Amino acid sequence: MALKFYLLNPLIAFLLGAREVGFIFFKTLMTCLKGPHRIREVIQYMYSIGVGSLPIITISTAFAGFVVTSELAHQMDTALHTVEMLPGFSGQFVFRELGIVIPALLLVSKVGAATTAEVGSMKVTEQIDALRLLQIDPIEYLVYPRFVASIIVITCLTLISIFVTLVVAIAVAVLKYNFAVLEYTNALTHFVANKDLVCALVKGMVFGAVVPVISCYYGFNCSGGAEGVGNATTNSVVTSTIIVIILDFVLTFAFSLVL
Amino acid sequence: MSIIFDNVYKAFGPKKILDGVSFTVDTGEIMFILGKSGMGKSVTLKNVVGLLKPDRGNVFVDKMTINELDEDGLEGARKICGMVFQHPALLDSLNVYQNVAFGLRGIPEARIRERVLECLKLVHLDESIFKRKPPEISYGMQKRVSLARTLAPGPRYLLFDEPTTGLDPITTNAVNELIFELSRKLKVTSVVVSHDMGCALRIADRILVLDQGKVLALGSVEEIKKSPAQLIRDFLMEAI
Repeated sequence: MALKFYLLNPLIAFLLGAREVGFIFFKTLMTCLKGPHRIREVIQYMYSIGVGSLPIITISTAFAGFVVTSELAHQMDTALHTVEMLPGFSGQFVFRELGIVIPALLLVSKVGAATTAEVGSMKVTEQIDALRLLQIDPIEYLVYPRFVASIIVITCLTLISIFVTLVVAIAVAVLKYNFAVLEYTNALTHFVANKDLVCALVKGMVFGAVVPVISCYYGFNCSGGAEGVGNATTNSVVTSTIIVIILDFVLTFAFSLVL
Repeated sequence: MSIIFDNVYKAFGPKKILDGVSFTVDTGEIMFILGKSGMGKSVTLKNVVGLLKPDRGNVFVDKMTINELDEDGLEGARKICGMVFQHPALLDSLNVYQNVAFGLRGIPEARIRERVLECLKLVHLDESIFKRKPPEISYGMQKRVSLARTLAPGPRYLLFDEPTTGLDPITTNAVNELIFELSRKLKVTSVVVSHDMGCALRIADRILVLDQGKVLALGSVEEIKKSPAQLIRDFLMEAI
């Protein structure tokens, strides 16, 4: 009985949820191929996701860049008594992790939460049923524009985030550790290649695709009024965060084998 | 041409909601479905348009077996059935015009505008609210806009799920009058889920009372008034 309650039921719920997320993902991909392409909605979401997230991502990645560069330099100095490798280490860390995961996690907490809350409210106030009765597929109307907008925007935000973090890293290296800007950038080019940028963009696109699908899934399955919307939003953010971190590991591992 | 429930069963987990419900809604009539909360009234309506499917039994609309249709097949049924929900269920991101026009596709823009205005007039609204978003108009107006949106594609069946919930008595009366007026003017078949026995006595052709997932009583207003069932007596007392 306890085994069923603690293991079997959650496992079944997880598998059913995964199947539904897969279905939403598949149907969204089919809409990408077949349309309707809802350009107006896509642009609206691109604006709200992109412009709304830009200040937060810029500030967060700038400070993260500052902390990471200072910490790397400090540890290098303590252990190796030199900071010569700072451009390479900080550059690789920015391109491979910091510049990608921070925007993705901020996207989860800002856009993912807002999406689940909005779709969840639509569910509990029967707007989604109304869409069905008007022969509008809720996945086409609600998931697809967010999916496309999120992929495009997070790819751009990843580039911006990498740029901002690098600028901050260079500033720290120049102001605190007496590097010349050219010296830093020359050293950086020895450690960071085009493939790192490609990996960063692919990771960004994958995260951008996953977050709206999971957020909408929780919104579609929301019930029970305001409390239900709150619970769905919390669950959506937790699940999306975990999935982004797991996917980051999987993609990093896959790229290390392929590239 | 009618709506037929043939021995319909529906449960959510261990809770039986519909327990062998059978009835027919005849063409052109206004049928009220009454019952206490949680007795399966809204579930009954959602079965008509395929938003829920029965566990057993069949639901027919114009000879279409709704429970056997897939999402594509349901499109046909949903074109002829319009449903007004308990909440106005308007899309907040769209203005009134866009909401009413939402279900109108494949026709010229000029015709859409004409139809939107026509439907707003039917619910006693006009084009002055075209550009306003749902949160900028009163709840009663939102309900009317919702009704206009439902009317826009020209359904033959109108389903109302507690249309007067959350409205003040004056607006409640206005909405009830509107249901009667529209049903007669547009010659549509109407099914109204409600708690309001007073309104049912005034405008219904027939009344169905659900209790514990079963049909407790079904008949004309006069027949219902004579029913000895305690639940119906309680409803009648409240109406008086």
